Amino acid sequence: MARKTSAASTDPAPRNDAISALFRAYSSNTSDRLKFIDAFLVFLILSGVIQFAYCVLVTNFPFNAFLAGFSSNVGQFVLTASLRSQVNPENKTEFKEVSPERAFADFVLGSIVLHFFVYNFLG
Amino acid sequence: MPTAYPLPTNVSPATVANTASLLRIVAFGLISAAAIASRLFAVINFESIIHEFDPWFNYRATRVLAAKGFYEFWNWFDPTAWYPLGRVVGGTIYPGLMATSGVIYNFLHYFNLPVDIRNICVLLAPGFSALTAWATYMFTAELKDPSAGLLAAAFIGIVPGYISRSVAGSYDNEAIAIFLLMFTFYCWIKALKLGSAFFGTLAAVFYFYMVAAWGGYAFITNMIPVHALVLLLMGRFSGRLYVAYSSWFRFVGFQPVRTSEHMGALGVFGLLQIVAFASLVRSHVSSKQFQNLLAISVVTMGVLGAGAFVVMTYKGWIAPWTGRFYSLWDTGYAKKYIPIIASVSEHQPTAWPSFFMDLQMLIFLFPAGVVMCFRDLRDEHVFVIIYAVVASYFAGVMVRLMLTLTPVVCVSAAVAFSTLLDTYIDPTEPEATTTEAPTAAPTTTTTTATATPDSKKIKKAVAAAQAGNSASSIASSTFNDIVSATTRKGKSSKSKGIWGADARLAVLLNAIGMLAFFVFHCTWVTSNAYSSPSVVLASTNSDGSQHIIDDYREAYYWLRQNTPQDAVVMSWWDYGYQIAGMADRPTLVDNNTWNNTHIATVGKAMSSPEEIAYPILRKHDVDYVLIIFGGLLGYSGDDINKFLWMVRIAQGVWPDEIQEPNYFTPTGEYRVDDRASDAMKNSLMYKMSYYRFAELYGNQNAVDRVRNQAIPKVGPTLDYLDEAFTSENWIVRIYQVRKEDPLGRDLKSANAFEQGKKKKRSKPVSKRRVIVN
Amino acid sequence: MKLFAFLSFLALPLAFAASSDGKEKLTSLAASGNGVIKLNDEIFDLLTAPSRDWSASIQFTALDKRRRCAPCKEFEPSWNAVAKAWTTVPAAQRDHHFFATLDFDDAPGVFQKLNLASAPVVWVYGAARGPYQTGKTQPLKYDFSNGFEAGPLALHLSNHTPVPIPYKAPIDWARWMTVISGLLGFALTIRFIAPVLQSRWTWAIITICTSLTMTGGYMFTRIRGAPYTGADGSWIAGGYQNQFGQEVQVVALIYGTLAFSVVMLTMIVPYQSSPARQRLQIYLWSGVLMLVFSVLVTLFRVKNRGYPFRLLL
Repeated sequence: MARKTSAASTDPAPRNDAISALFRAYSSNTSDRLKFIDAFLVFLILSGVIQFAYCVLVTNFPFNAFLAGFSSNVGQFVLTASLRSQVNPENKTEFKEVSPERAFADFVLGSIVLHFFVYNFLG
Repeated sequence: MPTAYPLPTNVSPATVANTASLLRIVAFGLISAAAIASRLFAVINFESIIHEFDPWFNYRATRVLAAKGFYEFWNWFDPTAWYPLGRVVGGTIYPGLMATSGVIYNFLHYFNLPVDIRNICVLLAPGFSALTAWATYMFTAELKDPSAGLLAAAFIGIVPGYISRSVAGSYDNEAIAIFLLMFTFYCWIKALKLGSAFFGTLAAVFYFYMVAAWGGYAFITNMIPVHALVLLLMGRFSGRLYVAYSSWFRFVGFQPVRTSEHMGALGVFGLLQIVAFASLVRSHVSSKQFQNLLAISVVTMGVLGAGAFVVMTYKGWIAPWTGRFYSLWDTGYAKKYIPIIASVSEHQPTAWPSFFMDLQMLIFLFPAGVVMCFRDLRDEHVFVIIYAVVASYFAGVMVRLMLTLTPVVCVSAAVAFSTLLDTYIDPTEPEATTTEAPTAAPTTTTTTATATPDSKKIKKAVAAAQAGNSASSIASSTFNDIVSATTRKGKSSKSKGIWGADARLAVLLNAIGMLAFFVFHCTWVTSNAYSSPSVVLASTNSDGSQHIIDDYREAYYWLRQNTPQDAVVMSWWDYGYQIAGMADRPTLVDNNTWNNTHIATVGKAMSSPEEIAYPILRKHDVDYVLIIFGGLLGYSGDDINKFLWMVRIAQGVWPDEIQEPNYFTPTGEYRVDDRASDAMKNSLMYKMSYYRFAELYGNQNAVDRVRNQAIPKVGPTLDYLDEAFTSENWIVRIYQVRKEDPLGRDLKSANAFEQGKKKKRSKPVSKRRVIVN
Repeated sequence: MKLFAFLSFLALPLAFAASSDGKEKLTSLAASGNGVIKLNDEIFDLLTAPSRDWSASIQFTALDKRRRCAPCKEFEPSWNAVAKAWTTVPAAQRDHHFFATLDFDDAPGVFQKLNLASAPVVWVYGAARGPYQTGKTQPLKYDFSNGFEAGPLALHLSNHTPVPIPYKAPIDWARWMTVISGLLGFALTIRFIAPVLQSRWTWAIITICTSLTMTGGYMFTRIRGAPYTGADGSWIAGGYQNQFGQEVQVVALIYGTLAFSVVMLTMIVPYQSSPARQRLQIYLWSGVLMLVFSVLVTLFRVKNRGYPFRLLL
């Protein structure tokens, strides 16, 4: 994920340790299902970054289209992140009333509504 | 367990639960009925008619929508408003209200129920008030329990603060907005509680509806982020907060991305993403250094974001706050720079009697309820607390925003009241550890017994506070424990309850008395103060019967019947929508006050002498000038009382020509009698108001009943206008603008010439002098 | 020939002698008075001479203690600040506009002549001739509806000066110092006051106080600038849409008392360990509730005469 480097870059000494520890902890403690979701999240971030770079570097000509694309990206990202935290077994205590199935149904509903709005926004 | 009064013992818990839910449904049905019924005073006292000013436009727009369909409505250009500019209606309104009634209309007609669109418009507000009561019930039930919810629903159903904007016929955006507000808040709370993306999405959808319905949506746009931010600062970040906020925010992101109103929401959104990521990382790594680093970088990013916002606003990349919102913070701003906003009566600050009138006993139960929220302080209680502070400030600044305060007052008062009732109805008596005269031994045992867990807790909390200085969240939560422990210390936390039936009875009778008084108060206020359509007035005859004063409609129908279709009517902007709606004539300015200069032009024409006003009138093709005059009847909402605002607004554009002090007497009084200033006496408004007024009294003792001042015997004369119509009680006076003199003289001398011929014998000298001039 | 030329050279200034002499005099007066010319009858006539090719803003005031003109004293510093700002303008433009002050005690005749009955008043005389001629002979009156601050004054007068007045509000050092020292003090004491800040009851008190003052109509008195009490010493303003400053306190206190008795009844009294004392407290607080509510309703009846209900009182 993109932000951890920027967050840690102020202090280079403990960074390598911390990052490798983080990576190890992540790969050993996370279930495959969550890793799958994380892969999708990374994809969304990359796509968002590319769109933003295109807008800044090349042109923002169909500004509506850029906004729609970018916000669909962001929207989908937060939705997926929500799904991730809902199905994460570690958060079981927080989401007592949300089963993984329910979470997925919400995710689908949210995505449909999201893309309905995005389509509307496309102009 | 001792009880204060006998309880039936042979009832199964299932029966109790079923009966309770049945009672709840019945109670809720009655509340809805009461809410709707109390809003029908206006229909019963007067008739099924649209009220006031703005609703007339909404009604007119809805008729277009119902007749021509949504697409036509969206592209509707209204050439008769803001003559000669016209107005693009589709893009400049909140279509939520019209769309709602349009849907209801089509729905009913689909089932072959031929309901008139007017009746739908008239009854929309009462109908939605029942829904508001339901939303408030749900909201409060989340906060405390269903019984508090029922109380809150009952309060909001009949509280005058809400009725004032939702009586039958008051067909305005607020009619549906409060329901949307409460329901959005309910969804938000629910989403936060459950961590459910479903409720978050629902909140977003209703938020969207709100955006389409009322300008006050900015209140939600900022309330929810502030709540999220406060929760973050309190160290209460959780996955549920993340889910709820994210699923709500996605749609807000599509709002115009470059206005200040939405930046707060965006900033909190960004912050939340960072915090979420940080906490995810934290859960995987235990390195202390790394955690510190994260905390620091999160704070830095927050500060940087705020700085960037300020810079971007300064550079003009983001639109700064619009005047209306800005005037909420800098309260002197509006009067200085946007007098139009300051001139609207509902934008005036609120004096305390209005608070009491609108909320009665709820106003002092409200702080008590907030205290109780502080006692529990779950996430949703934090929301109510923030809402309470923000809304009470807003309501103090503008009368109109009393409407946003009312729901939280009802909710919070209901929490306080139902806690009171719970405490005193609860039949269990505490174990009497002490007798009437307390001896030393039992008291000490109780205090030590209760003190031990407390002191343990304190020790543990102190230890925890010392250990966990890195995580502020732990510190704050333990600190709250300390506080609750210390506040309870000395009182036994075990034996909570009331002894004896008489004490219960005293409190409960008191409470019921207050409730009954509240109901009487609400009924009285609603029927007397808030049910007047202001298009039709009522007065009481000496024998007690009601006398209807229908001058407005009389005059508007006169316009409709007697003037050509394209005759342009000039009036102060308050009456623009009514003229368009009832008389169907083009107007210069109306209640959609978007063009300050145009309004100032009308203000200038009204406050200038005839010679200066006439070219303005001719330039704008004005055929008729309509004014409201209450001097005969004592109707205080007339144009002379609004006149100073016309002067002020005109002064804002032409500071050299129109100056407010000139309209006061040298001693600084606002007078219309002999001592009135020259600028006042010569102004078109004054002349039109008092033209031939003294004749009505036989030229003696003419008294303006609003201002209680004697009008000069020799009334003003008009050279450029002719009196065309004056309504029965003189409330509406319409003047026709003369065309240019066919001989090319200016109208004043032409007039003087004609009169001079007639009255040569009576006043030859003065008239001749005029001609010479 | 030479002589003639010399004569004509002499005669040329003579033609405008009155004007340019006066102008020099005014310029020197303005320079000596820190931008403000102190007027008497004679200089006033000079300044407002019908042949003037300059414009002038004149403040009519009464600063003498005997005149008891509080607004005059309030306005004086703003006026001087704006006039001082004008002195920084290049001489070419500066000398086409003068700031002047006329005190009532220096020239009561002028007040009489101009029919002025109150002070302070600001009039702007446009130039009658010359490049900045306005064509208006009547002086324009400045409207004090924006208050006595220098900012709006400078903004308004700039409409009549050859170039806008370069007035800048002075940096309020005292205020900045207070803010900075406040922040520093906060940072230093945060260790000690943190427990107080993190206590929910601190916030509860803040919240309650805020909402009580707001519902007491504090913003009304702020925005409308309502006085603390009436001129005749009464503390209740007549009329439903009006109130004095003291009413805020009284009403907030009443609301606070009522809320407090409800809180006592629900949150404190049930924890009482002695039945007798508890009973006493219940009756006490119920009584307070009833009584103070009656007082409140009575107070409301004073404000709203038509209100038909009453409780005990």
